[in-house]
Amino acid sequence: MNSAALIPLFPLLGFLVIGLFGKQLKSERLIGIIGSGAILASFAIAVSIFFSFLGMPGEERSMHVPVYTWISTGAFTVNIAYQVDQLSLLFTLIITGIGFLIHVYSIGYMHGDKSFSRFFAYLNLFVFMMLNLVLADNFLLTFLGWEGVGLASYLLIGFWYERKFEGTGIVYTGDAAKKAFIVNRIGDFGVLIAMFILFNTFGTLSYSEIAAQAPTVWAPGTAMVSVVTLLLFLGCTGKSAQIPLGIWLPDAMAGPTPVSALIHAATMVTSGIFLIARNNVLFAMSPSTMAVVTGIGITTALIAGTIGIVQNDIKKVLAYSTVSQLGFMFTALGVGAFTAGVFHVMTHAFFKALLFLGSGSVIHGMHEQQDIQKMGGLKKYMPTTYKTFLIGTLAISGIPFFSGFFSKDEILWMGFLNGSPILWGVGAVAAFTTAFYMWRLTSLTFLGEERFDHHHVHPHESPATMTIPLIVLAVLSAFGGFLGVPHVIGHALHIPNLLEGWLDPIFERGMSFLPKHVGDHAMLEWGLMGASTVIAIAGIMLAKSIYSKGTERAEGIAARMKGIYTLLWNKYYVDEVYNFAVIGPILAVSRDFLWKIFDVKIIDGIVNGSASTVGAGAAALRKIQSGVAQNYALLMMVGIIAFLAWVTLGR
Amino acid sequence: MGIDLFGSLPLVVIWLALGGVGIVIQAFVRDNTRLVFGYYISTLIATGVLAALTFGHTGLTFDGMVTMGGSGAFFDILFCVTGILTMLAARPYLQREDSEIDEFYTLLVSAVSGMMLMAHANNLVVLFVGVELMSISFYVMAGFFRKSIRSIEAALKYFLLGAFATGFLVYGMALVYGSTNALDYATITSVVRAGTTPFPMLLAAGVTLMAVGLCFKIAAFPFHQWAPDVYQGSPTVVSAFMSTAGKAAAFSAFIPAFTMLMPVGAGASYVMNMQLALAVIAAVTMLVGNISAVAQSNVKRMLAFSSVAHAGYLLMGIVSGTAAGHQAIVFYLTAYTFMQLGAFVIVSILERENDGHLEFSDYAGLSKTHPVLAFLMAMFMFSLAGIPPFAGFFGKYMLFIAAIDSGFTWLTIIAVVSSVISVYFYLGLVVKMYFSDPVGEGHATNPGTAALTLGVAAAFTVLLGVLPSVLQSMFTAFH
Amino acid sequence: MDMHVLLFALFAVGAVASAVLTVTRRNPVASAMSLVAHFFMLSGLYLTLEAQFVAAVQVLVYAGAIMVLVVFVVMLLNLGNEHRLQERSSLRSVMGTLIAALFAVQVIITLLAHPTGMNAMSPQALTIGTTESIGQTLFTTYLFPFEAVSLLLLAALIGSVILAKRHVK
Repeated sequence: MNSAALIPLFPLLGFLVIGLFGKQLKSERLIGIIGSGAILASFAIAVSIFFSFLGMPGEERSMHVPVYTWISTGAFTVNIAYQVDQLSLLFTLIITGIGFLIHVYSIGYMHGDKSFSRFFAYLNLFVFMMLNLVLADNFLLTFLGWEGVGLASYLLIGFWYERKFEGTGIVYTGDAAKKAFIVNRIGDFGVLIAMFILFNTFGTLSYSEIAAQAPTVWAPGTAMVSVVTLLLFLGCTGKSAQIPLGIWLPDAMAGPTPVSALIHAATMVTSGIFLIARNNVLFAMSPSTMAVVTGIGITTALIAGTIGIVQNDIKKVLAYSTVSQLGFMFTALGVGAFTAGVFHVMTHAFFKALLFLGSGSVIHGMHEQQDIQKMGGLKKYMPTTYKTFLIGTLAISGIPFFSGFFSKDEILWMGFLNGSPILWGVGAVAAFTTAFYMWRLTSLTFLGEERFDHHHVHPHESPATMTIPLIVLAVLSAFGGFLGVPHVIGHALHIPNLLEGWLDPIFERGMSFLPKHVGDHAMLEWGLMGASTVIAIAGIMLAKSIYSKGTERAEGIAARMKGIYTLLWNKYYVDEVYNFAVIGPILAVSRDFLWKIFDVKIIDGIVNGSASTVGAGAAALRKIQSGVAQNYALLMMVGIIAFLAWVTLGR
Repeated sequence: MGIDLFGSLPLVVIWLALGGVGIVIQAFVRDNTRLVFGYYISTLIATGVLAALTFGHTGLTFDGMVTMGGSGAFFDILFCVTGILTMLAARPYLQREDSEIDEFYTLLVSAVSGMMLMAHANNLVVLFVGVELMSISFYVMAGFFRKSIRSIEAALKYFLLGAFATGFLVYGMALVYGSTNALDYATITSVVRAGTTPFPMLLAAGVTLMAVGLCFKIAAFPFHQWAPDVYQGSPTVVSAFMSTAGKAAAFSAFIPAFTMLMPVGAGASYVMNMQLALAVIAAVTMLVGNISAVAQSNVKRMLAFSSVAHAGYLLMGIVSGTAAGHQAIVFYLTAYTFMQLGAFVIVSILERENDGHLEFSDYAGLSKTHPVLAFLMAMFMFSLAGIPPFAGFFGKYMLFIAAIDSGFTWLTIIAVVSSVISVYFYLGLVVKMYFSDPVGEGHATNPGTAALTLGVAAAFTVLLGVLPSVLQSMFTAFH
Repeated sequence: MDMHVLLFALFAVGAVASAVLTVTRRNPVASAMSLVAHFFMLSGLYLTLEAQFVAAVQVLVYAGAIMVLVVFVVMLLNLGNEHRLQERSSLRSVMGTLIAALFAVQVIITLLAHPTGMNAMSPQALTIGTTESIGQTLFTTYLFPFEAVSLLLLAALIGSVILAKRHVK
């Protein structure tokens, strides 16, 4: 059997061993080593395949690895088979590589938890399912993984099920898990129907066969291909937390922080991107779907970014940031810049995993405190966490030569080139909010004065199992962008765009359906790049001027200490002016409408509404089920008469 | 003509073992439940083995009254396995409830023999006798806890409504006989296909009434209302047996009967209407079953409604009227039997004093008090909800595909919607078991031989999900 | 032939009338007696169809054995106060009547769809209803269901013993 089949096998074995014998193993170290080792083994195999691919020409970098025949009924066969090519290998490397780091980190983070072994079992299960999702050569196996990661996510969000958790309409973390699960079912419904249509049309669910047949069966732009791709996209909006199904992700932060890093930032939430990238031919055939993807993506990027500004929970800021960044990725896909979208998946995985793990380190050091208004000045207590977090912040903000700069800039540029200047403009505003809230977060957490209670909280740096993954991720966040250097810079510095060359064979066919923009825009691209850099720096500077010296809450604490209070008063007045003139309206819109009304009322309302419809139906049916046998016979008789009339008299 | 002794062996052996030897043993050896239990277990094992041996030996026997081998033999094995698993679970359960008497096993085996008749029937008379043999055994088994009012009520309700439905089944058979002048399947098939009956309307009415009778047995809307009350009131192991093997038996009769009476795309003019009417029944059944289950707070009753919903899914295969649809039914029935039986048996293990400890709230924190049971229950729930990689997923998948292939896309959409609804209560139980704290002291349980039942049910629930081809390869031997 | 038709009509009307009486009589004994009359009418119907064996069995088994049992039970249980058994829900009775009427209309429509008129009785009919020919088929062609019925009776026997047994462990 091909070694690629072993990639998902190791996490499965890890899950089984830890899940079945976790209680007997007792030693946290042993469980940690088994759990992380399983992922490391998969990573090693993926790396070896990667290097063997490098020695081949582009078109041959693809393997079909059949494992066994799953279903075989007449014309319908589904093989469990893996499609190892440039796209799935890239995702596999991200999942296993970052997954390994997060497993190692979890050994420190989950130390002493009563369900230590359960946590690692779930984490391994998640990796197994995620690998199936990306490696599958057909829709059905991907769907299996898709449901599987949903299950693992559900189990992990509700991991501390008895803990209280603040959320909209949510009291316990278990409720947050339920919310995530239910919202995702709506999306899955779309995928399921799309699968049925595809199977009905093509008689197969294999990606390669559908991609090969689709252009001959459907003319590009026909209604059918739009319906299918929109249904698939509905699934993507669920899994990848886009409008209108994005509401679950911020609440998913109820889970342990390594889970937020791995599942709800780096890997699972990007499966929507994967699904579109994998089916780039189908999506490229429907201009209307592409437009919808772009529209949803950019709107989500902007709305989530503005909501991120008002959050005070360190993890919720990052959660809204993740939603916003995913919006960027969809924007890229929507304008046909598939490579740029996948590139951002990669860089985002680096820096967002870093930021989440950094926040976990802070929460760990602050004794489960998550409110950034009660932090500040942690720089001197947690130097490593601070430095790495700072790198993450710079990377996500788009400061030149950090990884986020390259990928985000590529997206904005492609948006301008293939879309319109308006797209670039909205994207730039979203990028501005990113820089702003990220600096606000860093500033309130690590800089300024210490706003926590020294008698109860003694911040300390985290153990090496936690800081080493942070350092590794910081290096990746800083330099990972050089894998996909934009052409203009590459041209000037003589660096090739490695990623584009790598992914080209995957997207070639899809790209052939899209209009091509030829010509030399080098000057324009340089100009826009400069503009977006200025915007990022402006976002940081603005946040710096507002938050470096304190917050409203800092003011509240200061009120009890009169001297400092008066001193700070005037500075606060400046804040007020800013608030009133610039931020106030944005805050008001984002808090009062986007968050409170749009998010809470409209979207939660739809979800709760369908549940209560079922409830009402159940109550009505309960009345009919009276327990009186005569009534049952009566209903039977009515049924018989109707049935008879239909069959004998109906035409 | 005549009798093929080898092919008839499964039927003959279970009859002789029951009516010839079993009764004598019970008459002379008094109060030795252990012996009777062992004897009937061996009877079922022997019958199952013989059925497996005759699997490839297809044809007709007893002057064309019954079929041999093929799907009939497959169902024999399924019934025998279900019977054995139920007996294994029933013994500790009945002992705990202090009502173990030998006749329980006698009735169970006679129900199995009735089911086998239904699966093998090639003549309306045989079908009718099979249905009655199974039903009468069920009526008594439902009322087996004579001191429990609920159990007696269940038995009486089941008997009254069952008799009512049987009336329609016979009426239907009479009309079919009157309009085709035949009782054997082959002749009826040829008349229906050729459309040569002088009384097309009577034939249509007869087929409808037969459908009514069979729909009652599978508990499809609007003939389903007995099921929740009966399954809730009966001893739990009996509910387990009735809702699995009983439903399987009804479908084992439904498939050949409607291959004969509803030849899609040929002959009689009522076929289209019939197909559509059954599709509507299927759709409403799954919606009613699942929506009602949402409102239940009693686990046993929830499982009862879930069994109604599953009848709806299974009917999709009949609606499709294709070989693929029928194979999907067989697959799903097999999967369903193991997962539903497993769930009911867990309920029976946790239950106290017939009616106690059945509420959802009693399952809170089960993962802490009984981790193994909670894990298995979660697995059965996932499978019932149709979540891969468990057996339920495949069955549903095959049924959906069969329905789409015959042009019933709307039915499939309703099936998907109702599956989504069902996730709510199946996973609700899992959430209860895993994400809430136990209330009060968990009581000790001793599953005894029921552990074996659970092991086998769990193994099949996983196996059929991971390696469905094992079962699918058997379908090629069906005719 | 005319005689046949006349007798058939007579017994048919009698059967329906006695069935109605069975359901409507308040007194259980009167109800049971109407049922006996009904069975006799059915037996007469069988005779007009030249089914002598079935007619005889109908009288022996139903009108004889079963009805004796029913009457015994009625007497033993002393079901005097039949008002307690009276249907309380008037809505249900109205619905029931309505549904029954609908069903009757349906049956009539179905039958009217095949106006076959009056056919002469098949000469075969004279021979197939006899005890001899029934015995013939029962022990040859229908041997299998015949044996199966014995199992059915066995199960019913065991079941009734279980349910009626006074002392359960």
